[in-house]
Amino acid sequence: MLVLLAVAAAMGLLLFAFATLFGKDPHQVPFGLKDKPAPDFTLTRLDTGETVKLSALRGRPLVLNFWASWCGPCQAEHPTLARAAKHFGGEASFFGVVFEDTPEEARKFARPMEPSFPQLIDPQSRMAVDYGVTGVPETYFIDAQGIIRDKFVGPLLDMQELASRLHALQQATGPVGASR
Amino acid sequence: MSVLVLALLLSATPHAPQQAGSALLDPTREARVQALGKMLRCPMCQGLSIADSGSSAARAQMDRVRELVAEGKTDDEIRAYFVARYGEWALLEPPAHGVNWLVFLLPVALVLVGALVIGRLVRHSSVAQAAGAQPAPSPASADPYLDAVRAELKK
Repeated sequence: MLVLLAVAAAMGLLLFAFATLFGKDPHQVPFGLKDKPAPDFTLTRLDTGETVKLSALRGRPLVLNFWASWCGPCQAEHPTLARAAKHFGGEASFFGVVFEDTPEEARKFARPMEPSFPQLIDPQSRMAVDYGVTGVPETYFIDAQGIIRDKFVGPLLDMQELASRLHALQQATGPVGASR
Repeated sequence: MSVLVLALLLSATPHAPQQAGSALLDPTREARVQALGKMLRCPMCQGLSIADSGSSAARAQMDRVRELVAEGKTDDEIRAYFVARYGEWALLEPPAHGVNWLVFLLPVALVLVGALVIGRLVRHSSVAQAAGAQPAPSPASADPYLDAVRAELKK
């Protein structure tokens, strides 16, 4: 009787574990910075060497795209982002951040593409770690108050998808003054 | 030939350029950096810590750990920094609270149940042996094939 009870208890625990843990993708890395203030950064532009600070970009929605020249999907998505920057440039700022790459390689990658939106160099990927980047490409959507509202993991190939995320960004209103 | 093809393929495939990590700290603080790195999961690898992974992203995270240690942050603060970004997923050893307790309790519970089952079985068989419940094997087996073998051996 005691054995049966013990086996039933162990089975119950196992079932509970399976019920709570199944259905989740173990490879999906949680994103803890959603609806949190975007960490400040000061980076330099790949083309002009000019300094760009996040605090100076506040007041407009911001799209930050992390990419690298060695990343195939980044090459595939770049034309979509370039078109989006041209089309929605009046409503939001677009910036690319070079991830784990050398400025030379990044320039070689960016050169054939038409100059669409500024690219920033992130030495030693410090800023990428600050933003919780898990790989490239990843695109962050930050509202006018500096709150990270969303991030898209993988290549953004659908213009409609990008447009709807931008629209949601414009609708979002974050707590003013919450960003650092 | 296949080695040559593989080498050509690998050289043609784009890859993340290796960047040197930040300068090591003094031995005591560097030991802390390595110990913390062993506890943090690499987001681009399969079940590896950032200290054990050779990926460039893991190197970037180790650089950040080193920077935070140099700034005088405590181990808890550094773990909290990574948990804030990647959730508890970032910790290779889950903290003991909530549903995480299952990870610690289930193995113990299963060992206890196993021990209980084995204990019952052993007690049952020893009681049965002591009571002589086990009948002595009869010379004439119920198995006709065994009988046939025995008869053959007697010839």
